[in-house]
Amino acid sequence: MHIIGVYNIKGGVGKTATAVNLSYLAARQGYRTLIWDLDPQAAATFYFRIQPKVKGGKRLVKGKLDLDDVVKATDFDNLDMLPADFSYRNMDLRLEDAKKPTKQLLKLIRPLSKTYDYVFLDCPPSISLVSENIFRAAEGLLLPLIPTTLSMRTYDQLLDFLQGHRITGLKLMPFFSMVDRRKRMHLDIMENFPDAQGELLKAQIPYASDVERMGIHRMPVQAFSPNCFAASAYQALWMDVQNRLD
Amino acid sequence: MAQHPLTYMLPDELDLDGLQKILSETYRLSVDSPVKVKQIYFDSFDWRVWQAGGELLQEQGEMNRLCWVNRKSHQQTACQSIESPPGFVQDIPQGPVRECLVPVLEMRVLLPMVKINQQRYTLRILDAEEKTVVRVILLKNQFSAVKGKMKGDLDGRIVLQPLKGYETDFLKLKQQFASLKLRPSEQSLYEDALLGVGRKAGDYSSKLNFRLDPDAPAHVTARLIMLSLLNTLEANIDGTRADLDSEFLHDLRVATRRTRSAMSQIKGVFDPQQLEPFKQAFGWIGQITGETRDLDVYLLHYPDYRASLPKTIQKDLDPFHAFLQQHHKLAQAGLVKKINSPHFRKNLKAWRSWLQSPGGESDQTPNAMRPTANLADKRIGKLYKRVLKDGLNIGDDSPAELLHELRKDCKKLRYLMEFFQSLYPKPAIRELIKALKVILDNLGEFQDLEVQANSLEKFGEQMLEEGAPASALMAMGILVGKLLERQERARAAFVDLFTDFSSESNRNAFQQLFGVR
Repeated sequence: MHIIGVYNIKGGVGKTATAVNLSYLAARQGYRTLIWDLDPQAAATFYFRIQPKVKGGKRLVKGKLDLDDVVKATDFDNLDMLPADFSYRNMDLRLEDAKKPTKQLLKLIRPLSKTYDYVFLDCPPSISLVSENIFRAAEGLLLPLIPTTLSMRTYDQLLDFLQGHRITGLKLMPFFSMVDRRKRMHLDIMENFPDAQGELLKAQIPYASDVERMGIHRMPVQAFSPNCFAASAYQALWMDVQNRLD
Repeated sequence: MAQHPLTYMLPDELDLDGLQKILSETYRLSVDSPVKVKQIYFDSFDWRVWQAGGELLQEQGEMNRLCWVNRKSHQQTACQSIESPPGFVQDIPQGPVRECLVPVLEMRVLLPMVKINQQRYTLRILDAEEKTVVRVILLKNQFSAVKGKMKGDLDGRIVLQPLKGYETDFLKLKQQFASLKLRPSEQSLYEDALLGVGRKAGDYSSKLNFRLDPDAPAHVTARLIMLSLLNTLEANIDGTRADLDSEFLHDLRVATRRTRSAMSQIKGVFDPQQLEPFKQAFGWIGQITGETRDLDVYLLHYPDYRASLPKTIQKDLDPFHAFLQQHHKLAQAGLVKKINSPHFRKNLKAWRSWLQSPGGESDQTPNAMRPTANLADKRIGKLYKRVLKDGLNIGDDSPAELLHELRKDCKKLRYLMEFFQSLYPKPAIRELIKALKVILDNLGEFQDLEVQANSLEKFGEQMLEEGAPASALMAMGILVGKLLERQERARAAFVDLFTDFSSESNRNAFQQLFGVR
């Protein structure tokens, strides 16, 4: 089972769209896939038309709920979802109470390893105990970056955090998101991105109205517009991710 | 609680419109556009997927997918996209279905069993968010044979497909369906289609599974066993000829060996003079199939051979692989000629007609009328005593020939126990066959590794003549060393293993089962 976090400290960078579209692609390829919407804003849950409610959600974080019992099938074969729940906003507080507070998430996910080939975690923005849990549970971390100065800063902050907390062995997979190739600044920043470790994924996700239209259709881009530019960009990104994880 | 899909047979008076009408009275519905799908079901010749509790199908529709369906739950437990039809497991791309197949198939190739053309009409039951909560799928199916023109319509089906997390909606619909009084399907679509082409899943197995009558005269039982072995042998001829996978030839050879063993070990049942030409014929079949089988074995072992070498010289062994393949091709061509020969056909035909025309008991056949169970006890008991005596006489320094002889007797004993196993309590005889198999594996390892090492040396000389690079021969030299080391380890393990085999509890078990004194 591969666990992939989709994360950025900053919000509105295309995180949820990435998690939704990549999990859909994994499922379509035949992999048994789970997407966990950890963000109390519940955007991913909304995209799949699922109620943002987990029965006994509070117990979930305490580890007293079997994840498998609260999973919902999406409308797509092989793709299940663990919906968001409003109680997730207090997840930090509950994690703090637990023993080994940074490893609770992994403990919850582990029993699913026979059921799923891929688990995508759509993470809430900000750095918190929740995100640290995600860093420790995931094999790879997808980092959508808008090519702007501010976005680059958050990337550095993350690197510092990982180093400071001695989180190693996590495969970082930054990639450019919401790219507008008409903007000089986008092009400049992408060209000068310091990628000493060769971590940057080649695929780029464009700033595209098709991605925004996911909110109207309430389904992944590929499901309503399989031939559009954004759909093939996500396809390319998914190929890059698979190559990196192998 | 997790729900499984429910399948009903579609009655004549119900169609898609009717179903839609019934459902739309209660539910918000969405109708998908109809989909045409081609399904091809696969399994190995000996039904390994089926025996492992699965059905394997390739589905060609919007996507080309390979899916594993759990026979019990009727759920697709694994699916992956593929580009070409599946064959050997190592040629299937990495993915969840391949993972299911790896432990199941081993060296067996997947063969298409039956094809289905399916029209699929999906009605989705929606909640207030227009999220699908249950799927109702109406299926119309035509089967067709893989070869030939046999085809026809199958009864339509209605599948209620639950979605995880929406079990309540499913149960509600299930209840409503109960009032429609539809007939639940008794067998899967695959089984329906197989029946259509005149087959049944699991209709071939190389395993011996006779149900013998303990009181039947021994000559009747012996014919029954031999006839069944002949059926197995003949079932494997086409696959051997086409070299679909190595197991066809293997099963053909095992059936041959078992037949020879039955001829010689079920003693005093048939007139030896009448049996003699058939003994020779089966000896000949053993002979003409030997070379190809040997090369099959080397090719099957090849990945392990290669992996046993230090990484840096692994690729040096590749010319050996090419050599094996080339010689296998030649041997196979020779074998096909022999299988196609009138001599081969005539022998099998004569054997069958001899088996099917009973009679010929004489003073040469003192055991012919003896009750089967009685003869089985006696023959097994006698062989066991010989095995026990000879085995216990073998020490760490005994010559290899004694072990080879013991192996032959152990094999005979094993075949007899397998022929007659239905006459004895199942767990007890299985336990003893298992214990015997431990010894046979050890003796097999001891002998086979030596044979392999010798053959490798011989192959090396041949390769040298054919201009193979020196590096290949060096790699083979290292390999020979490794094989001989393993052989020594097998030899060293024998005495302890045989001590276990001859333990008091095993002796008692043999005595109880076969009345050995």
